[in-house]
Amino acid sequence: MEVRDVHHAYRQREVLRGIDVLLRAGTLCGIVGENGAGKSTLLKILSGELRPSRGTVRHGGRFGYCPQHVVLNDALTVRQHLRFFQKAYRLADLRYAEEVMDVLGFAGYADERAGVLSGGTRQKLNVTLALMHDPQVLLLDEPYQGFDWDTYQRFWDLAVRLRDAGRSVLVVSHLAYDTERLDELWRLDGGVLRPDQAVAA
Amino acid sequence: MRYHLTRFALATGFALTEHGRNRFAMVLVILFVPLWTTLAYLAMPDTPAHMRLRATGETLAPHGNELTEISGALNAVTLITGFMMFAATFSGNLFDRRLALAGYPRAHLVLAKVTALALISAAVAAYATAVTCLVWTPRQPLLLAAALFSAGLTYGALGVGFGSVLRREVEGMFAIVMTSIIDLALQNPITSSGADNPVMRYLPSYGAMQAGTAAGFSTSPVPRHLAIQLTWFAGAALIALMGFRRSTRSALYVNAQPPEPVPGSGAPSLPAPRRTAVPSASASDTEAL
Repeated sequence: MEVRDVHHAYRQREVLRGIDVLLRAGTLCGIVGENGAGKSTLLKILSGELRPSRGTVRHGGRFGYCPQHVVLNDALTVRQHLRFFQKAYRLADLRYAEEVMDVLGFAGYADERAGVLSGGTRQKLNVTLALMHDPQVLLLDEPYQGFDWDTYQRFWDLAVRLRDAGRSVLVVSHLAYDTERLDELWRLDGGVLRPDQAVAA
Repeated sequence: MRYHLTRFALATGFALTEHGRNRFAMVLVILFVPLWTTLAYLAMPDTPAHMRLRATGETLAPHGNELTEISGALNAVTLITGFMMFAATFSGNLFDRRLALAGYPRAHLVLAKVTALALISAAVAAYATAVTCLVWTPRQPLLLAAALFSAGLTYGALGVGFGSVLRREVEGMFAIVMTSIIDLALQNPITSSGADNPVMRYLPSYGAMQAGTAAGFSTSPVPRHLAIQLTWFAGAALIALMGFRRSTRSALYVNAQPPEPVPGSGAPSLPAPRRTAVPSASASDTEAL
């Protein structure tokens, strides 16, 4: 994924002032920033949800995007969500999705409606929908919200395994936890990205 | 062909599932339609209301309660379809966008929504017509069903449009209710002395009201007024479609199209933990067209 000179403003308020990112294959990267720093705006632009005021975003292959707020259809079951996205991603079967569900520990909820799931389980499905086609570039916006400690650990193990298999994983968060797991960490501050000292050192 | 059919069928099935799980709407259909139409029939006086039906040029003197019952049936059908489509659109906007960005063809999603709307409108219109026929006997029941159906389609499309642009649920409910009240109250000769005003022909359910009244009290066919109603539906649907296209578009230069299927690769599996990993560059197993 290549991002060049991305600017974005909401009316007069400039949020992003020239973002350049080159996300190489087989890297696990993080972007941190304080509340309101523009992290979600940046991810919306990277995922194609939002058109930047200036600059370009290019993806080299399949990509997956997990939005910060859970985006599900409350009337459909977990399995129906998977079938819907199976067609969207043109997948032959759901074996990979089921493996992801096993790792995140919610395979037993396949026939439950999304509307009755707990917050943490909804987030697991939210993440699974972004992962289930084995994307080459994976963008995750605050992906572990609502996870218990065990799931949180398994999520990071999964992210590391994906990186080791050559996928690019970008995690955006307001807190710089687990920076030792990351290959690169950037801080979004004042509308620009700077290497964070924690990892750069 | 199979590619299109499976995606259309899946999206249609899930759209209907979603509507079916809207319990409040189901209760409205079952109770509100007979309650409103029967009360309109029983509570209004049966004094003949002299009126000129624009659709046929005839001068009619239908019973006031029967005329109000038709207006009530139109009101019930339009409110229900408008509410159902608004609710589904309002809650499903972001999900539809996620699906579209993931590669689900938007045309299939749109066609599925239109199909669901048509099936719902047909079912509610048939039900309202049956309830009407239990209470009194309209001259042309099929035409009455067609009038209710086309009005249901129109308000369903308006519901989608409201669902795309309004930010709060209460705004959408208010918009649909007020539109239907203004639309139908102005056309009812019992409640409005201006029902013969030329402005009426530009109201959203003018065609259906004319066709419904003709169905109740005349034997003349009124295809032109059904066509007027379907034109209203087409216009409302076009606006809804533009809203849908806008909310589901991708801003990316590359990959705006669905990801390329990669034939021939084995079934993907999660990479193993690092020590035992055999890094695989193989892409996801994908379905052939």
